Amino acid sequence: MQHTCANIIHLFQSIIALPDTILAKLDAVLFELHRRGWGDWPAALLLLSPAFLILSVFVLAPMVSSFYMSLFGGRHGLGHYVGLENYVIAMRNLEFRSSLMVTLYYVAGVVPLSLTISFSIAYGLYRITIGRGLLRSIYFLPYITSAVAAAMIWRALFNPQNGAINILLNYIGVESLNWLLEPHGALYIITNGYIPSNWGPSLALVCIILFDVWHSCGFMTVIFLAGLTAIPRELEEAARIDGAGTFRLIRHVTLPMLSPTLFFLLIVGVIKAFQTFNSFYALTHGSSMPGTQNLILYIYAQFYEYGYWGYGAAVATLLMLAIVLLTLIQWHFVGRRVHYS
Amino acid sequence: MRHHSLFPIFIASISVFVIGCSNAPPGFLPVNNNAAVFWDRQTTESAELLRTVAKEFNQEWTGLPIKVERSGTYGDIFRKITAGIHAKRLPALAVSYESMTNEYIPTGAVTPLDSLLADPEIGLSAKELSDYFPMMLETNRYATHDGTLYSFPFAKSLLMLYFNKRVLAHSGIEAPPKTWDEFIAQCRQVKKNTSNYAHAVSADCSTLNGMIFSMGGSVIEGRTTLYNTPEALAVFQIYETLFKEKLAYLISPGSYEDNIALSKGDIAFVLRSSSSLEDMKLLMQKDPDGWGLTCIPQRNPETPATVLYGPNICIFNTTEAQKRSAWAFVKHFTAPESAVRWSLKTGYLPVRKSVLTHPDMIAFWKKWPYNRAPFDCLTFARPEPNVAGWQQVRNLAARAVTEVMTGMRDATSSADELKHRADDALAQVADSSTLP
Repeated sequence: MQHTCANIIHLFQSIIALPDTILAKLDAVLFELHRRGWGDWPAALLLLSPAFLILSVFVLAPMVSSFYMSLFGGRHGLGHYVGLENYVIAMRNLEFRSSLMVTLYYVAGVVPLSLTISFSIAYGLYRITIGRGLLRSIYFLPYITSAVAAAMIWRALFNPQNGAINILLNYIGVESLNWLLEPHGALYIITNGYIPSNWGPSLALVCIILFDVWHSCGFMTVIFLAGLTAIPRELEEAARIDGAGTFRLIRHVTLPMLSPTLFFLLIVGVIKAFQTFNSFYALTHGSSMPGTQNLILYIYAQFYEYGYWGYGAAVATLLMLAIVLLTLIQWHFVGRRVHYS
Repeated sequence: MRHHSLFPIFIASISVFVIGCSNAPPGFLPVNNNAAVFWDRQTTESAELLRTVAKEFNQEWTGLPIKVERSGTYGDIFRKITAGIHAKRLPALAVSYESMTNEYIPTGAVTPLDSLLADPEIGLSAKELSDYFPMMLETNRYATHDGTLYSFPFAKSLLMLYFNKRVLAHSGIEAPPKTWDEFIAQCRQVKKNTSNYAHAVSADCSTLNGMIFSMGGSVIEGRTTLYNTPEALAVFQIYETLFKEKLAYLISPGSYEDNIALSKGDIAFVLRSSSSLEDMKLLMQKDPDGWGLTCIPQRNPETPATVLYGPNICIFNTTEAQKRSAWAFVKHFTAPESAVRWSLKTGYLPVRKSVLTHPDMIAFWKKWPYNRAPFDCLTFARPEPNVAGWQQVRNLAARAVTEVMTGMRDATSSADELKHRADDALAQVADSSTLP
């Protein structure tokens, strides 16, 4: 144990260059605690404390603070104590429910699409040998492009009057669409009014989903590619000898072996999708157009435009709980099917 | 027992946040200790002129210098100020609409200006004060806060109708419309002759209010909105007709696609602020005689009305030195000589009456007949409401116009829904207590 303590002390010394006298005292304290039966706990806590302190200040404390704020009414500050009333108001509020639906449509659209497309690209890149590095860089480019700058380009492409997409559609004889300015449901438009307008995401939301799929695919592709290259070649070769075609190979070998990567991307993708702000704000200019206000924009408006701190904090807490709950559900149901070896 | 070792650290960090987010004492720190920072939204030539005026002011003024910082759109500035209020750090002054100022007042962030106006050294004399348009001063007195002057007129403008003469001539139209019936008829005529849209709509609360005023209506009475009155409904019906007959299209929020379309001859009409005058001149510099501007159409041209908008200035409750510099700059900026330059260069209306008789202004009107149009409308312009919670109503109004212009709702249900939701929003503000 004394050896372990000395290692820890040397580690600290190399980082913060403590004077030898202090280090010797610290060493003696840790050794004494170990001798009295505390085991490795003091050393472990000492090592964990910097990370825990940072997490406490920047994650845990804001979470608790947000919950505390959510118990108060008033505007531009904390007014009177209202208990859980802000939560009740949120549950009854039509705009909150509409923002929640927009968020759910968005998550349901962007996560599966991103995973499927980026897996396809990664698998394609994995299979080719010439120009893989170049193509990987090209597919990664959207991810490192500023979302706001890219959104400006997409806004121009989707412009109903002179955007490239409508010009192309007109060229092939299809009527122009309003794209980002279209609050009607995408299904309503596709089925020419057969499906009610309020069913499914608005066309404007579909545009935002497409933008984010494009923007996030590069990151997921690189992660998938790393996972694919880690799969032992012998497994594939054995499957090939047993007569497996490409799709059976993917279904029975590649995907199970890739399941930790897939699981990681699923968890991260869902959390990120719930918290998306940039693309919504940049593509819609933060406007209150129906069908494009997700929960984050809703919270933003409550805080920064209307001054309802307590109510905004309540919605933020609800969103956090929803994310935690969904992550636990994913962990429970999907996590069991992940092969780690 | 041992598991509780980190508990004190956790509690301490949470306490810091909770204390920080709760009822901190009033008082705000300046964002810059060495200069009085001015958050503004002007771009291009007007931004350049503002900086020039600030530079001239700094050469004469012995206090803290004014530093103009472009801080995005009015909405961006509002959000930045709101965040600054939370962080207790604010600029010396910023542009602000009445609805925004009303949100800042309860936090104690805004300085009442009456004492600065009466200051023997940098205040305004009674003669000087009477030179300001009373209506512009009145709209900066907040009835819900004892009629205190919390902001000061800065860059006022009016809702005007811009038109492309070439498109009108091509459609056989000699003069722009004077009434809303004529406006719709001319839109149809343009559509028929050019197969193009005649108008581009910016979904905006001020434009909606201006149109309601021109119909002879109002938008608020006490704390109850009037968005479902016959006058307001008539405006929504105009939007409905424009959408259904494909006479107009909706532009992207926050964009100036309509001005560009007008300059390219793609549409005939645009409803915009008189402050777009200089931008339009730039856009139309290849065909300066191909366009014009006039008062917005009316229900009854005998009793015209339009909306007076444009930002005011708020001075924030930071240090005395910051406040004095900020006010001295506002006084300098609205002095007749500066006001004339500002008005000539930007298209904004002067806030002082004496500017209207200034030789430079008279020469400007003679130079191009349409230069005078906004000034002719000044006498019948009406300010927008300055009640608390109006910021939320503005968003709701923009949404209502969007819903009609995209066919999501008809005129009647849109007007009813807006009235219902706007009243709810204002009632909610009235019910909510602010800082204790």
